[in-house]
Amino acid sequence: MAEAEIALDIQNLKKYFGGIKAVDGCTFQVPKGQISGLIGPNGSGKTTTFNLLTGVLEADSGDVFYNGENIVGLRPYEIFNRGISRTFQITRIYREMTVFENMLSASSMKIPVREARERAEQLMEFVTLTKLRGEYGGNLSYGQQKLLEFARALMTDPDLILLDEPAAGVNRTLLNNLLEHIHHLQEDQGKTVLIVEHDMNVIMNHCEKVFVLDYGVKIAEGLPEDIQKNEDVIEAYFGHR
Amino acid sequence: MQEKAEIRSKYWLAVFLVAAYTIPFGVGIYTDNVFFDLQWLADLTTVILNGIMQGGVYAMFAVGLTLIFGVMRIINVAHGELVMLGAYLTWMFFFYVGVDPLLALFITLPIAFCIGLLIQKLLLNAVVGGPELTPLLITFGLGLTIIHIVEAIFTTDYRTIPYAPDAFQLTETIAVSRSKIISFVMAAFISISVFVFLKLHRLGKAIRATAQNADVAMVCGINIFHIYMITSGLAAALAVAGGALVSIQFGFNPETGVLYTLQAFAIIVLGGRGHYIGALIGGVMLAVIESLISFMIPNGTAMVEIASYGMMVFVLLIRPRGLMGPKEN
Ligand SMILES: Nc1ncnc2c1ncn2[C@@H]1O[C@H](COP(=O)(O)OP(=O)(O)OP(=O)(O)O)[C@@H](O)[C@H]1O
Ligand SMILES: [Mg+2]
Repeated sequence: MAEAEIALDIQNLKKYFGGIKAVDGCTFQVPKGQISGLIGPNGSGKTTTFNLLTGVLEADSGDVFYNGENIVGLRPYEIFNRGISRTFQITRIYREMTVFENMLSASSMKIPVREARERAEQLMEFVTLTKLRGEYGGNLSYGQQKLLEFARALMTDPDLILLDEPAAGVNRTLLNNLLEHIHHLQEDQGKTVLIVEHDMNVIMNHCEKVFVLDYGVKIAEGLPEDIQKNEDVIEAYFGHR
Repeated sequence: MQEKAEIRSKYWLAVFLVAAYTIPFGVGIYTDNVFFDLQWLADLTTVILNGIMQGGVYAMFAVGLTLIFGVMRIINVAHGELVMLGAYLTWMFFFYVGVDPLLALFITLPIAFCIGLLIQKLLLNAVVGGPELTPLLITFGLGLTIIHIVEAIFTTDYRTIPYAPDAFQLTETIAVSRSKIISFVMAAFISISVFVFLKLHRLGKAIRATAQNADVAMVCGINIFHIYMITSGLAAALAVAGGALVSIQFGFNPETGVLYTLQAFAIIVLGGRGHYIGALIGGVMLAVIESLISFMIPNGTAMVEIASYGMMVFVLLIRPRGLMGPKEN
């Protein structure tokens, strides 16, 4: 297998919260056009890494190169406009807006309204939420909220999609649906997807490459089956700490 | 369990409001200020109508306060000072340039919008989302600064703008002052315009989105600091418009802003913090209570402020959500 192009080059990224070293000199490269997994025990810094990549949090130090540009220090909307989109670990949707309004909220001001509406319709169809288009976000089931958040993350046709625990709290059928969509994005549209997930089935069966974080440091990377056998990883998950 | 507490608080709020509206009548009867003849009823109707008209203006500037709170969770205690500033701006254009107070809105509103933008950019953007006390103290300082600047320029004398003082005869016995009607119509127009903007315009939707969840808005391509600035600009414009409309009805001096801040707070507490329609309803309700107090209670004009204080304290005790606010998390 030829070495894949790099979508995201993370170099020595650091974020401390007071004494807590949430991300502590993290370095890894996310391959382009693939589905990759980011795993690690609770509190190992996965969500914080996502927050740093999307500009929600400001990194203490380190660089993140995306298409050759260092995006550390950019505002969240600037990063979003460069084609990086995300979902949240605990779904965050606008509860007092309808499904359709939620979708439109993520469209760039620069594209015409009509185009945005069309895209929203397509994506709602894609995640089977069309019937619920007029329903308020707050009235959706948790799984439906996840789908909505996922669809909303695709509104601007991003090249890199960061998913924070897409499987948590979602029933099997919905999850399979979601995974199918993710594969569709990667295979047919060449998108890069980075998934944080505790559900090892998802990671093992759907990711080409896996990165493992522990205490804010990348301790391993590789193919899912290799990661499963990696001693450091087993130690991080099960070992005495 | 929670459901029950919710229903109980609603019930007590209703009891409180009924009491608030009946107490002036009670005091009026006790002090022989209430006569059940036709003339008195006509006067009462006039007073209530005036209250509603007045309420429209209150509602408008209260909406500005609720917008800022809703979008940024900032309590802007300088809001009333912007109302006062609006009155002085209008007065200046009226006396020095001879511009009609309502036409002056075309000049004062853009100025106000820019002032709001600047306040946000220079003072508040850095502290949004931090500890609540910081923006509170900043706006407190800002309010005092505005008062002192205005005092230095215009002294503490009361100013008035003579404008449409004659009354509009609804019937033979019921008359409403013309400036009140004009103010009400303008306030309604402006409030509805802003509402429609928030509901339908893309930027308005982005403002609502930021209010509902800034974290999401941020990663969905919305420059939230840009949104904060527009929100502050709008709020300042609403306050200054309020100032223009009260300036043609009442005298004002640099200290009057404090009362408007208080009223705006009472209104948004009653209506439900961050709730647009709630603020409109709360504004009218407060103004009507105020007019009843000043109509029926001897020396009532001096006591109207009690309505605001009482409203704020009791609603916060009974039902912090107010009439339409979101559930506390
Ligand atoms: N805003 C914050 N302020 C202070 N500490 C934080 C903050 N966000 C995260 N942390 C801490 O940083 C560490 C990493 O948290 P993070 O949420 O990134 O972990 P995670 O790998 O996503 O965990 P999980 O699997 O439980 O989601 C934790 O110790 C957490 O308590
Ligand atoms: Mg997490």
